[in-house]
Amino acid sequence: MSPVLGAALDRVDGRAKVTGAARYSGELNLPNLAHAVLVGARVPSGRIIGIDCRQASVADGVLTVLTHLDLPRVAARPKLFPSLFGLTAHGQSFFPMQDDVVHYAGQPVAMVVADTVERAEHAATLVQVNYAETPSVTLLDQGRDQTYEPAKIFGGLLPGRNPTRGDPEAGLRDAAVRLDVTYRFAANHQNPIEPSTTTAVWDDLDRLTLHDATQGPTATQLSVAELLGLPPTMVRVVSHYVGGSFGAKALIWAHPTLAALAARRVGRPVRLVLSREQMFHSCGHREEQEQRIGLGADRDGRLGALRHDKTSLTSHYDDWAETSLEAPAVMYAAATYAGGYRLARGNTITPTFTRGPGAATGMFALESAMDELAYEIGVDPLELRLRNHTDVDPSTGNPWSSKGLRECYQRGAELFGWSGRDPRPGARRDGDWLVGTGMASAAYPVAAPMNPQRARARMYADGSAVVEAGISEFGTGALTAMTQVAADGLGLPFDRVRFVGGTTDLPNIAAAVGSAGSGATSSAVHLASTGLRDQLVGQAVADARSPLHNADPAGIVVRDGRMCLRDSPQTGETYVELLRRNHMPDVEALGVWQPTPPDGGGHGMFTFGAQFAEVAVDADLGLVRVRRLVGVFAPGRVLNRRTAHSQLMGGMLWGLGQALLEATRMDPHTGRWANASLADYLVPVNADVPDITIDTIEVPDSVVNPLGVKGVGEIGIVGTSAAIANAVHHATGRRIRHLPITVEDLL
Amino acid sequence: MVLPRSEMEFLQPESWAEALAVRAAYPEALPVAGGTDVMVELNFARRRPPALLDLGRVAGLADWGTEDGLLRLGAGVPYRRIVTELAGRAPGLAMAARTIGSAQIRNRGTVGGNLGSASPAGDALPPLLAAGALVELASVRGVRRVPVAGFCTGPKRSMLAPDELIAAVLLPPDAGPEQFAKVGTRNAMVIAVCSFALALRPVSRTVGTGIGSAAPTPVRAAAAEELLVAELPWADRAALPEPLVRRFGELVAAAASPIDDVRGTAAYRRHALGVLAGRAVRRAWAEHRRGGVRG
Repeated sequence: MSPVLGAALDRVDGRAKVTGAARYSGELNLPNLAHAVLVGARVPSGRIIGIDCRQASVADGVLTVLTHLDLPRVAARPKLFPSLFGLTAHGQSFFPMQDDVVHYAGQPVAMVVADTVERAEHAATLVQVNYAETPSVTLLDQGRDQTYEPAKIFGGLLPGRNPTRGDPEAGLRDAAVRLDVTYRFAANHQNPIEPSTTTAVWDDLDRLTLHDATQGPTATQLSVAELLGLPPTMVRVVSHYVGGSFGAKALIWAHPTLAALAARRVGRPVRLVLSREQMFHSCGHREEQEQRIGLGADRDGRLGALRHDKTSLTSHYDDWAETSLEAPAVMYAAATYAGGYRLARGNTITPTFTRGPGAATGMFALESAMDELAYEIGVDPLELRLRNHTDVDPSTGNPWSSKGLRECYQRGAELFGWSGRDPRPGARRDGDWLVGTGMASAAYPVAAPMNPQRARARMYADGSAVVEAGISEFGTGALTAMTQVAADGLGLPFDRVRFVGGTTDLPNIAAAVGSAGSGATSSAVHLASTGLRDQLVGQAVADARSPLHNADPAGIVVRDGRMCLRDSPQTGETYVELLRRNHMPDVEALGVWQPTPPDGGGHGMFTFGAQFAEVAVDADLGLVRVRRLVGVFAPGRVLNRRTAHSQLMGGMLWGLGQALLEATRMDPHTGRWANASLADYLVPVNADVPDITIDTIEVPDSVVNPLGVKGVGEIGIVGTSAAIANAVHHATGRRIRHLPITVEDLL
Repeated sequence: MVLPRSEMEFLQPESWAEALAVRAAYPEALPVAGGTDVMVELNFARRRPPALLDLGRVAGLADWGTEDGLLRLGAGVPYRRIVTELAGRAPGLAMAARTIGSAQIRNRGTVGGNLGSASPAGDALPPLLAAGALVELASVRGVRRVPVAGFCTGPKRSMLAPDELIAAVLLPPDAGPEQFAKVGTRNAMVIAVCSFALALRPVSRTVGTGIGSAAPTPVRAAAAEELLVAELPWADRAALPEPLVRRFGELVAAAASPIDDVRGTAAYRRHALGVLAGRAVRRAWAEHRRGGVRG
């Protein structure tokens, strides 16, 4: 590998983003553009008994008002399915404005289209809707006596109960030390800065172009085509820059299809931008939930049993739970295990992926319980983790594709200064502040799409190359990292390569979700680039006029666009010389990666890490301030050290938010979110950001994908909240078993 | 029924005299200074005034200086300048200004605007209360100066007459030790759960307090002030007796009438005010003992 791979290079799109030159989906100025605004249901449950659009219809600039009475029926009932798998990827099995039933507050009940966004917003306030409201369930406590164990969750892909290992009830019964604790989690919203946005344009040939803010252009294409009853050939999706997503744009919700229907109705391009408030009930969220952990251990802390049960709220029509049990089930060498999901149906949109889906809550529960166990038996929390470390996937007995966790613990402990920690809670004071430290393990599954992933590399006769794949850039640094992968594969300088994504015209890549984007895209880009390089090398050795004629291709290396013999570098020629001599304007190759199967061909595939936190708690006010965070992760190969560290840091700050700030509060009297704005749903600001140290342990992984990339999108959040809560306990002696931790908990 | 087209006049006087004339002619016009409150309300369609009266171009409104032996702070001075230019003359107000919003908000937001909004959570108001500030109100009819303590009459209501504009605030020229503290759920860009300001005036042996976000208006804690006036060891600057600190905190907490809301419970606000008050008096008294008589 060349030094370009992993280098901390500046973002190729950095200047465009900083100067505002980068155009986002909501910034396209198209001729004759009209604007759609949705009207959401004011009640969480019931029926629409009357809807009066007369005032709205005649308001200035209004082109049309659509309701369930006149919106065309969609061609298929959507089916929830994760977008990682490259197929249709609806966020929920429900499409609004098809009948008069209200399932949740904020469900679209009308859509106003006008010539300006202000006029559309104004007219939307004039739509009069009368409801026959029925009793609603919007809190887990309200549905608690009606819970059930789903047969399947996650779009039918995972069982509602994890495979049981051994006899965990006996394991718990026979354990010398037992712990049975329940953790509760407030609902969380993803809250990207750019709200979801679609601009729909029909052309003269009835082809649809959607400029959509999405994590998966193909997912938007296939999902909207299905609902409109069109072949995918008639739907094109453009999504170059996306202003953050965090799961909100991982699946395809109603608004792109509604925008397309609105545009067809008015015969003009239509832009639909969700308001900040609408972002709280239009793209799913992390569901309110509770998790019960049973631990059985011997006196030394070795786990004999782990029982992990989750109960959460889902919609009327989907069995969705974020997969909180997956990472905890394989974290430690517990001899016996049982875990399952229970659901309560409520008046909510189907919950969905939210920053570190599943693992962020599941590992909070497990790692909080492990800290409690460490105190119970008087063992250092890090030592307890090491005693339960497992070199095989305990759910299968298979080896890991790679691990690196021991190295993460060791490096993290060094960077943090963990050794010699005084374990006594509430024993360190700094003025008004009580100071404490805590740690936690992190794990996140390495997922891969099921279908082939493609990219195309084309080199021109001047030796420059463009590499293409149909991904969007939603802030991760993918354009930069993929340029590096392509430059490495082609043997070209970084600045001679351009990576292009952003439309469904390009070779297909699954949605970049679940930390799988960098693995899938880098694999296709690597294969396309090395394929093109090999093609050119093959051409050179076959070319009687080439200095490399008849050389062994295996003995040829390419550096800075020049092919030469590894053992005799003076013998060689440049790509440019080869192409010009043969009068070739360009040359092209397709890279196709057939992903590793989900069982890793007999390997457990997870990313691991270790988190450390120091907090100060105002003893009299209960305020928690995080002073330091250290996170060390083993994400396989790092493609760009700078963007990878930025993603990991962002993840740790999500964890800080999850621990101390983030909660979407339901008002059960109205059935609506009580704090649907960024003034009331608080996320950390710069002044909350502590001293953060990040390091990565690059353990080779030859199983997960060609470059051994496990991804950094989610692992940063996993364990952060537990490390913080454990540090709060160390500071104060108080064990807070719910998130977020509030001031009132600590008085 | 078609609603009438709702256009909004934008009035932009260049001089104070012109501003007062416009205000008198268009009493329904909403005055706007930095716009950090007003524009939020407009963007959320919480209000739709028929006209905006922009004070941003009025010459001299963002000046400060001394007048009649008082520190006169023009209503248009932004928080950023209070932080950088007035930390010595108005320390409590500068401490509060430092906690407001983000750098962008501090560049735009003004004390005049904070008074005009008359929110119980206005961060600049408790230090003005504690300092015993006056508000200068002007109209074509004339000028009056009212104590800030009576200016706010309820949540987002004040004694500003329909033809009046806020011209300035006036503070005592030589501040003594002052403190401001607020509790927020996060470290910045947050509406205060509660706040507390304290001003000690050792020369006159008087004390001022201000409580924010814990009553329908910013309020003083009169009984707590009287306690300190009577019992602070002014003469010998002795160490602060702990029972006095405790009693002061209790009286401050008792002066509040907080409610439960999404930011915090009434009980927490009362408790926190007691804590903030105790810390404020400790810090202010320590400064007094260190620094000698300043005011």
